[in-house]
Amino acid sequence: MPDGTGRPRAAVQAVNCPNCGAATAVRTFGHAVNVVCQSCRSILDAKDPGVTILQKYKEAVPVDPLIPLGTRGTIPGWQPAFEVVGFQVRQILVDEVAYRWREYLLFNPYHGFRYLTEYGGHWNVVATLRSLPDGDHLPGDSGIRTYQGQDYRHFQTATATTVFVLGEFPWQVRVGDQVAVVDYVAPSQLLSAEVNADKEVTWSLGVYAKGKDIWSGLSMPGQPPVVEGVFADQPSPYQGVSGRMWRQAALLMALAAIVWIAHLFTARQQQAFRQALVYNPPSTQDASLVTPVFELDGRASAVQVETASNLANQWMDVGYALINNDTGQAFEFAEDLSYYNGVDGGEAWSEGSPAASFTLPSVPAGRYFLRIEPEGERTGKPVGYTVTVVRDVATSVWFLGALMLIVLPPLMTSFRAAAFERRRWQESDHATGKSSDTDKDDDDE
Amino acid sequence: MSKVYVVYGLIVIGLMGTAQYRGWRLMPVNETRTVPKSVRDNPGSYRPVYGGFWHVSGGK
Repeated sequence: MPDGTGRPRAAVQAVNCPNCGAATAVRTFGHAVNVVCQSCRSILDAKDPGVTILQKYKEAVPVDPLIPLGTRGTIPGWQPAFEVVGFQVRQILVDEVAYRWREYLLFNPYHGFRYLTEYGGHWNVVATLRSLPDGDHLPGDSGIRTYQGQDYRHFQTATATTVFVLGEFPWQVRVGDQVAVVDYVAPSQLLSAEVNADKEVTWSLGVYAKGKDIWSGLSMPGQPPVVEGVFADQPSPYQGVSGRMWRQAALLMALAAIVWIAHLFTARQQQAFRQALVYNPPSTQDASLVTPVFELDGRASAVQVETASNLANQWMDVGYALINNDTGQAFEFAEDLSYYNGVDGGEAWSEGSPAASFTLPSVPAGRYFLRIEPEGERTGKPVGYTVTVVRDVATSVWFLGALMLIVLPPLMTSFRAAAFERRRWQESDHATGKSSDTDKDDDDE
Repeated sequence: MSKVYVVYGLIVIGLMGTAQYRGWRLMPVNETRTVPKSVRDNPGSYRPVYGGFWHVSGGK
């Protein structure tokens, strides 16, 4: 897209369309090469004092630009006011599906031309480059191009066809014009090259802009079009966020580890009671018993009751109640022990465990005893077991839970960031699962 | 987002520290009614609220 940096003398400042007779104002003075009649859409030669018709409009349905010609205002990144002087719709065909976008040509007498492009509610403010990107002046179909130290990754190569024009243009424009368009992205910027039939290359740089900023700068009524999908150079809302969150997660996990280690060192793990007992399953006598009273001192904290037995090829359940001797408050729980082992086909095996433990939370200080009720197979052998009560035991389950909760948000953010990038590149020549035939064909050329 | 995350993380660590200090447990424990002192004389009269057990029947 030439930017019309020259200042040719104005050939005409207003033209009457020779096709329909309607008057059309020329806003860019001497820059205009072609003017499109706003009434019948005929393309006129603005350099010819006779205003000859270059192309008549044939489409049945005209396209109304969202931003009317003649609209003045600022655009993101540029302080001076620009005026919308031209409008064109171009399209590319991908797998026989037409994708159309809109381009607005803006003019300022001192700053020349800029472009606003819009596709699916995504806007770019585009300016032609004064200098070339590093490397060959012709674009390639893949790889990286570098411009002013910034790397841009190849996104798409396609043939763009002009399907509608309106207003005035500082270059020869016709409906049906075709150029090869090669886009490279470094969100929020889009480096583009357009190559015409004469192999003339025009490089431009687009900067992503929000529709509401465009609307605000140009004092447009209503709302900009709704954003659809993810555009090539649309900045990711997760850019830099997931990395920062992972760094914060590392610090939080380190802090959690310090708290956990401090807990391990400060937990008293004090043995408050221990008693060896025997359970004889065949006995018809009531097996339930109570222990002597023991003291659980200090603040309310966890109490672990461990049962270790000499079980072999049988099971035993032990029902417990930790009862406060003074208040009668009881905590009930049970431990299920079963242990089987043997040799099968020369291979030793074992199943279950002859020991078990249970942790009671926040047990207040006081004098307690255990009511114990063992139960087992009537045909089983006598089982010796030892009951141990430990006060203020250390636990790691909360630390592990905290680690999971700390890791979860950055993990989800990373997944979302990856999904956003997948959606971006799904529209490119490098989409996952997309055939690379295009690349191969172009390489062959 | 990151500030919210840091606050969230500090709350998680605070809860973790409190849970460790207080000896909290994820699953609730039956904290039953007041047990009469007579249970010491007759342990068999006590009726626990926990149900039956599932047992490994043993063998491979």
